[in-house]
Amino acid sequence: MFADSGVAGTVGRALLLVGIVGSLFGAIAAISSARTREAAVTKLISRFAILNAVAAVGAFASMEYAMITRDFSLAYVQKVGSTATPALYNFAAVWSALEGSLLMWVLILAGYTVAVSFWLRKKMDDVLTNWAMGVMFIVSLFFFLLSFGPANPFVVGAAGVVDGPGPNPLLQNHLLVMFHPPMLYLGYVGMTVPFAFAIAALVTGRVGEGWLLATRRWTLFAWGFLTIGIILGGWWSYEVLGWSGVWAWDPVENASLLPWITATAYIHSVLVQERRGMLRVWNLSLLVSTFSLTILGTFLTRSGVLNSVHAFSESAIGPWLLSFFAIIVVVSVGLIGWRGDRLHSPGSIDSALSREGAFLANNVLFAVFAFVVLLGTVFPLVVEALQSRTIVVGEPFFDQLVIPIGIAMLTLMAIAPVLPWRKASGELLSQRLFWPAWCGIGALALSVFVGATGFAPLLAFGLGGFATGSALRQVVLATRRQGWRGLVGRANGGMIVHVGVIMISVALAASNSFTHSQELSLVVGKPATFSGHTFELIDVVQITTDRDISVKALVSVDGGKPYAPAITKFTKIGMNVGTPSVRTGFGSDIYLTLEPPVRQDSNEARIKVFIKPLILWLWIGSGLMAVGTVLAAFPGKRRKPTDPTSALIDSHEVSR
Amino acid sequence: MTATQPRQRRVAPFVATIVGMVLFALLIVLVTADPNPSDNAESPLLGNPAPAVVSTTLEDKTFELARRKGSWVIFNFFNSTCVPCVNEHPDLVAFAEAEAKSANPAELYTIINDDSDGAVQNFFETNGGDWTKVRDSDAAISVAFGVAKVPETWVIDPNGYVRLRIAGQLTETLLTEQLNLLKEQFGS
Amino acid sequence: MNAAFNVKSRWSWLVMLLIATGLLLVGGMRDTGPLTQQDRIDLITKHLACPTCQGESVYVSRAPSAEAIRSEVARQVAASVRTNDEIIGYIEQRFGGQVLLVPRSTGLEVLVWALPVVALVCAVAALAFSFRRWRTVSGGEISQEDARLVADALNNQDDRP
Repeated sequence: MFADSGVAGTVGRALLLVGIVGSLFGAIAAISSARTREAAVTKLISRFAILNAVAAVGAFASMEYAMITRDFSLAYVQKVGSTATPALYNFAAVWSALEGSLLMWVLILAGYTVAVSFWLRKKMDDVLTNWAMGVMFIVSLFFFLLSFGPANPFVVGAAGVVDGPGPNPLLQNHLLVMFHPPMLYLGYVGMTVPFAFAIAALVTGRVGEGWLLATRRWTLFAWGFLTIGIILGGWWSYEVLGWSGVWAWDPVENASLLPWITATAYIHSVLVQERRGMLRVWNLSLLVSTFSLTILGTFLTRSGVLNSVHAFSESAIGPWLLSFFAIIVVVSVGLIGWRGDRLHSPGSIDSALSREGAFLANNVLFAVFAFVVLLGTVFPLVVEALQSRTIVVGEPFFDQLVIPIGIAMLTLMAIAPVLPWRKASGELLSQRLFWPAWCGIGALALSVFVGATGFAPLLAFGLGGFATGSALRQVVLATRRQGWRGLVGRANGGMIVHVGVIMISVALAASNSFTHSQELSLVVGKPATFSGHTFELIDVVQITTDRDISVKALVSVDGGKPYAPAITKFTKIGMNVGTPSVRTGFGSDIYLTLEPPVRQDSNEARIKVFIKPLILWLWIGSGLMAVGTVLAAFPGKRRKPTDPTSALIDSHEVSR
Repeated sequence: MTATQPRQRRVAPFVATIVGMVLFALLIVLVTADPNPSDNAESPLLGNPAPAVVSTTLEDKTFELARRKGSWVIFNFFNSTCVPCVNEHPDLVAFAEAEAKSANPAELYTIINDDSDGAVQNFFETNGGDWTKVRDSDAAISVAFGVAKVPETWVIDPNGYVRLRIAGQLTETLLTEQLNLLKEQFGS
Repeated sequence: MNAAFNVKSRWSWLVMLLIATGLLLVGGMRDTGPLTQQDRIDLITKHLACPTCQGESVYVSRAPSAEAIRSEVARQVAASVRTNDEIIGYIEQRFGGQVLLVPRSTGLEVLVWALPVVALVCAVAALAFSFRRWRTVSGGEISQEDARLVADALNNQDDRP
């Protein structure tokens, strides 16, 4: 099956083999170094990591080369390549189907492996480091095998093909396709690093040390990318899919949200470990769940057991991923069951009304949230397995359950930031919460004044104001005391992330509750009005390229510059894709779509108008989350990652 | 730190066992999950009176399902751009020819799903098939029958009851066999 | 912190609570006027699943079958004979239960509603159990390391003014 391929195919396959060999020997070297403590073997670990990275970069580059030179000898290029695809989308076409996405996974994983080995270059003689590297190599080995075996992108295709259909039209319609998948994968794959350390800590039994905390920044890094990736996905949905929403509780979206939820729980509860040395086993379990959920999510969405708009490709990798998931579960549950009690930490939590109590409540909420999302996603499979019926669990189900969870989270975000460690008094709370609570009242009054209705959205707005007050109180106090340094560090950066999250919650509550839409049949020269805005059709134009035929309706909103919602027919694939057009505003967006059937030579068009409040807040909030994450990653004070737990607090008690 | 622990009950193995069992159950469900669940040909309408269908044919004549009582009626929901519809067309032509020769011929109708008159006319001129084509411009018939994805073929008995739904591409043999079975079962 | 402050703040909290309740009641109960036809269509289609694309609602999907159901819903809303539930029932009767986006609360589907509650109860119970466990542990002997840890925490109990 490998006969007659171009140079890219041969090189790519060879490099994947090199990667397999590199990961295998890397894993052997790392684990035997952990057991024998042989310096010569230890040295090999980083070399194998570099070899892995070279192989992965080379394989990815070969695929890009094949795609850019339109090497139609490869089946993958035949599937997603086309001479008519514009250069940028052609570059992104590499990750537009399963095989290429896995290749990107391999690339990013190899990148993380080599980065970790560089970060630990001076600690390679530590047993725990060796085990962590060993786990990284084993995961790499699995993905190299997957990419070489059942999902090989370098398989030679049918002879004589000179052109292909190109990527799915939805994936060559907006620039975000360049950024959304890589960001998401940086987050997804990045969760391997803390997982590797969690397993290593369990194997060696050394959980009390600072290792897990040292990987906190890796988790934060991956979490940041995952957040950005998910948000870019929402943005892409808003800009491309034409139903004016950002989130549909689709299985693929849920699969990306699940590890995000458990990782979010972790970056909160790890602070308890950092401060009090507690919750070690729980934190390990969160890291392990996060990684397992990335694998489970990939299985659910890539094996074809669940279908969705995002499942752009399916293949036979299901059993592989499921077996890998089973192995991870058996190994980690076994290790935790075996080691759990031994690793149990000393100390206790005195009062539920304390910072650590709030973190625990946060973890309960996030655990239930993750459970709800997982249950809703796999429940159709359960019903099918038990009663062979098809059922669907969709948006209304998730909305009903997630809204109370969200309200509870906002409440917690309002109170938790002012709670001191160990124990809080009612007096202290009353004093600290006073102004934030007035912020909440202000927000509530403002929303009632502008006409918001319904208990749930009003609660969300009021609590959002309250929580913003608490978050800003912390930032203001910190900057007043420390100047610009009051903006960095996990507590202060975290508060900026909180403000971003609150803005996003408020935006989602507003746009879910107060969106109005109307279909308008427009005729040139006859303006129509809806919700206080005037819409006038100026012209209907048709643009033909060798890739597509697109029909645009030029609609002037309130007499201003024309917006151009369009429907594009991708001629080679025979699929219609709508392109909405949006007038963005601070208060609300006006979202226009062109509705079928489209008659290009007429002076009429059917337009659907959505008035969506506060959408801009989503993007501002997302920006704040990104900025806050970066600020939180900067340490207030430089410290060594291997210092014992108690030394992490800047304290004169610890003198060595 | 481990020295102070012996008084405590061991909890981790207990919790891990429970978690392991739940995950094991999940794994079983996932293993048995059918990749790419096939179109099932069930419908709440089976065994019930067919929905009322009133529309026009391509020749601009009125079509009313209620007037067809007394003979077996077959509806084929069709779109000229759908690949399986095009693939099954020769089988339908063969079926129609064979049926025309039988003692009690079933009536075959094409229901046009989301397609233009011109495209359908062209398709039938090129590929044969002289049975009546019924318009469904506002998709009312498709929704009334619960047609998810063309092609779908429905069989209605002489008393106006829905007896069979075939989702997806069919073959002449399949349709003939099923129809004969139904004719035996429900009389003709 | 003196007593006067305490009294003042207790009063102001009460005032705040009253204002918040009042605003919530005013905002939550007020009449938003009748739904437009489009609002009804959106509301109904958000509860129906597109039959050809698992997991998406008819409201979201642009698939032909979803367009067909949307136009049927629009027709029935325009005719204003059936209520929203009756229209949903009509579509279910034709397409089967798999077009309902919200699982019913009968049969096996009860689980999907009950299990989240069970999970919440379990999580809270586990938390309570841990608190009890911590309480018993804290009675035990304290190692030097632990003592140092606690001392640290106490020293840094609260670093804000």
